[in-house]
Amino acid sequence: MLSKFIERPRYLCALGGAMAAATALPETVPVLHAASGCAGNITWAQNGGSGLQVGGYCGGLSVPSSNVQEREVVFGGSERLREQIRNTLEVVAGELYFVLTGCVTEVIGDDVRAVVSEFRDAGVDIIFAETGGFNGNSYHGYDLVLQSLFRNYVRHGVEKIKGRVNLWGIAPFMDVFWRGNLAGLRLLLEKLGLEVNTFFTAGDTLAGIKQAGAAELNIIVSDVYGVEAAKACEEVHGIPYIIVPPPIGPAATDDFLRQVGAALSLDIFLVEELIEQENKLYYHYLETLIDCYNDLDLQRYAVVVGDANYSVSVAKFLSDDVGWLPEFVVCTDQLEEEQQPQLAHRLSGLKSGLQPALVFETDTSEILGHFNRYWPRNRSQKYYNAFSPAFVVGSSLDRELAQSLGVLHLSVSFPVANRAVLDRGYTGYSGGLHLIEDLFSAVVAGR
Amino acid sequence: MSYFEQREPPKREDRLQARIAFGGTLCGLADKTRGCCLDDRERGFTQGSICLLLPGLAMLNSLPDSVVLLHGAIGCGACSHSQNANVRAGSNLRRGKVKDALWLSTALSETDVISGGEVKLEEAIREVDRRYRPSSIIVAAGCVPGIIGDDIDGVAARLQPQVSAKILPVHCEGFKTKIWATAYDAVYHAIGRNLLDEPREYEQFLQDEFAELKEKHMLSRTVNLMNVSSMGRVDELELSRLLRSLGLEVNIFPVFAHPEEMYKVTRAAVSISTCPTHDDYFLKHLEEKYGIPYIIRHMPIGIDNTSLWIRDVAAFFGLEEQAEKLIAEEVRELQNALEEFKPLFKGKKVFVSAGEIRALANGQLLRELGFEVAGIRSFHHDEYAEAEYEKLAAGNRDFVFNIANAQPFEEVNMLKRTKPDLFLGHWCGNATASKLGIATHVIYNTGLSYIGYQGVYELARRLYRQLKNPLFNKRLSRYVPLPYTDRWYEADPFKYIKTIGGEGVE
Repeated sequence: MLSKFIERPRYLCALGGAMAAATALPETVPVLHAASGCAGNITWAQNGGSGLQVGGYCGGLSVPSSNVQEREVVFGGSERLREQIRNTLEVVAGELYFVLTGCVTEVIGDDVRAVVSEFRDAGVDIIFAETGGFNGNSYHGYDLVLQSLFRNYVRHGVEKIKGRVNLWGIAPFMDVFWRGNLAGLRLLLEKLGLEVNTFFTAGDTLAGIKQAGAAELNIIVSDVYGVEAAKACEEVHGIPYIIVPPPIGPAATDDFLRQVGAALSLDIFLVEELIEQENKLYYHYLETLIDCYNDLDLQRYAVVVGDANYSVSVAKFLSDDVGWLPEFVVCTDQLEEEQQPQLAHRLSGLKSGLQPALVFETDTSEILGHFNRYWPRNRSQKYYNAFSPAFVVGSSLDRELAQSLGVLHLSVSFPVANRAVLDRGYTGYSGGLHLIEDLFSAVVAGR
Repeated sequence: MSYFEQREPPKREDRLQARIAFGGTLCGLADKTRGCCLDDRERGFTQGSICLLLPGLAMLNSLPDSVVLLHGAIGCGACSHSQNANVRAGSNLRRGKVKDALWLSTALSETDVISGGEVKLEEAIREVDRRYRPSSIIVAAGCVPGIIGDDIDGVAARLQPQVSAKILPVHCEGFKTKIWATAYDAVYHAIGRNLLDEPREYEQFLQDEFAELKEKHMLSRTVNLMNVSSMGRVDELELSRLLRSLGLEVNIFPVFAHPEEMYKVTRAAVSISTCPTHDDYFLKHLEEKYGIPYIIRHMPIGIDNTSLWIRDVAAFFGLEEQAEKLIAEEVRELQNALEEFKPLFKGKKVFVSAGEIRALANGQLLRELGFEVAGIRSFHHDEYAEAEYEKLAAGNRDFVFNIANAQPFEEVNMLKRTKPDLFLGHWCGNATASKLGIATHVIYNTGLSYIGYQGVYELARRLYRQLKNPLFNKRLSRYVPLPYTDRWYEADPFKYIKTIGGEGVE
């Protein structure tokens, strides 16, 4: 991509995504080999963007960090890293130590592999990833953490166990609903009798992660995030993978379960039975909404603005389950040109028959212009087919867009500055119900 | 040569011998600093902290009609997601409109690291000028350009004739200084070099002598009230209220000041700092270049400190008598209002952690409320804090004292030993105490009142509420573990502090 700059980036650097992911791993202590401000910058970003979630077991400003200075830039930082790791082992309790590099230590070319190897040779569970900020954004950092786990931590050469799968593609803290989203899918797959490793939920353990090589399938619930890790895992552990966008609501989740079922050659009746059950439950809850959905005229046009996961999945849910008109979809990620058709394809076969416009735009303030070119404004016409009533589902940065359009707004994609998120998730059937609750709550907030 | 004639300001380690590592007691620190500065120490184990880019951006993001262009890797400046809340609320309170901050990143890639980022920066500046038409483009450099040798000043100078916005290069390369307070110097440096020229005056064909006299009189009673984003609007209003009670006009600078109106700071009668850590670099410049005297001594946090702060200002204008009347009335009213809370505070042990002056001034304030100070941590130390130490030393001096750029591992060790009833920590700095089950309160948040007499009352009110029901933290402590080894709690909290290049002091 040849943009001269990125406006209000909705992601951090590779180190930011990697630190978030490492703090989200069970009993894991990240050790930053970076300048002193990196941890704080990342912590502040979580504070402002991750639905009031910061840190974790050893996150925030508790993260050990070598805090390299001018001296290390001149003379090298390997010795400082060695000292830092040695003392980290004394002070900070963890089962896995994860060294992550920043821009400074990568530019000066410290041999992190050599230093980490010394400790590994001495029996310490310690691995590393080269996550200098100029290598890519936070989703790339998330991917690098998973790659390092597969290459350096997950046991090699273990036998495959039938019914065991790994699932990823949802980046901790960058997907603000990461815990609920991962747990929701995990629970669902467990209902199919599968044993699921999701790395980052309360149900995951390092022992489980170490055995991740025994899985017969990797399920990547993202067209973009964690795909490189899936390739690495296939290469190192021989595990095939499928790529499915994160399913929100019944229509997408039905497809998701069928795809997983097919990939694992599960009994098709078992899969269909679960789908039937879950749909019944979903519509059991939805039943009581029918009157108000009609009486309050709750159908909306929608603009969906989000990362590669949310833009597509929310639009699909609004179209195929909620019966809304998500006519205009914006993906705010920095994607390679060859990645864009894949996302467009996801929106091409909507059950509603809608064909939303999909725009790739990283810069928040440009979105309104794109929209205005798409939906003509009223030129003092008496009869004007307005984009109304409407809704913007996006990030908290898209409030100005919603205001310009004079419509309501809900933050779901990073940054989510204006919501508190703990275990809420939007994946699966119950996730669809949650998103309906949140959307319609916004509509009726003044009621 | 004035610092302001150089491209970059000096770092505070050099300019003020500022330090970030000490552990002991207040008496110990007094001994160490007497007659000479504290020797420069560091730690063999460190935790992450912030760099000057964060406080720098807290100021820069607030400037209206400006674009902050981060020149660095894509993550640098992501802290703006948090600071944006202050920009939104602050714009609303000052200008009646909620507005998001506008920060951009040149998102340097691996290729840029190899081939240099200057061309990309040039193109970005041109595009920013074209697309946003801002009054100023602030180019804030992170670590990467600092290492690969991008010359942001050169780029700015080259491009200035081609763009309509004022270009301000600001040096925020985090690896260059341990003292993040250098941020204030960096921002002031850029403002001082670029935004203080008076706009060209048009010749007045009709002279209005009365209006001129009025303006002259007004300026002779105008004070620059310096705010580097350590105060929210509520605190600005409290200090403005007190200054106006003395008949003074107030010009708040530099947060939320429009770049095109910044020159007004050169016209005031005097500049008043609210924190000696913040403004000395710029105030000296204003005095040298524009002949504006300054007052930089007390932080108006706490009853006595607020009164001292007012007295200094009053003395400058010869308003001592009016000030004493104001102070007497304010203090009487405040003391009466505080009576309600004092029984709950009496004898409770409190631990404070913040920027040096803020931590020390709050220590004083908390004593005034009846708390017993069990420990103080400050982010760094320099000579400007000596007066605050003397004030604290007048009371009980026997408490633990720690200079640390965050480093919660030292904090947790001290908290386990001192077992305070209450902890006041900075932004993203209360989690450790919370997980220990100690009642906590944030010592800095631009949405809350801390400053002046009003600040004393409002802080007391909030502490009262925290102490009345500390169950959020108490319940947490049962189930949320801290990440430290058992042996760390038994070790000397300052075990990893060492003289530079040497071994620990164990």
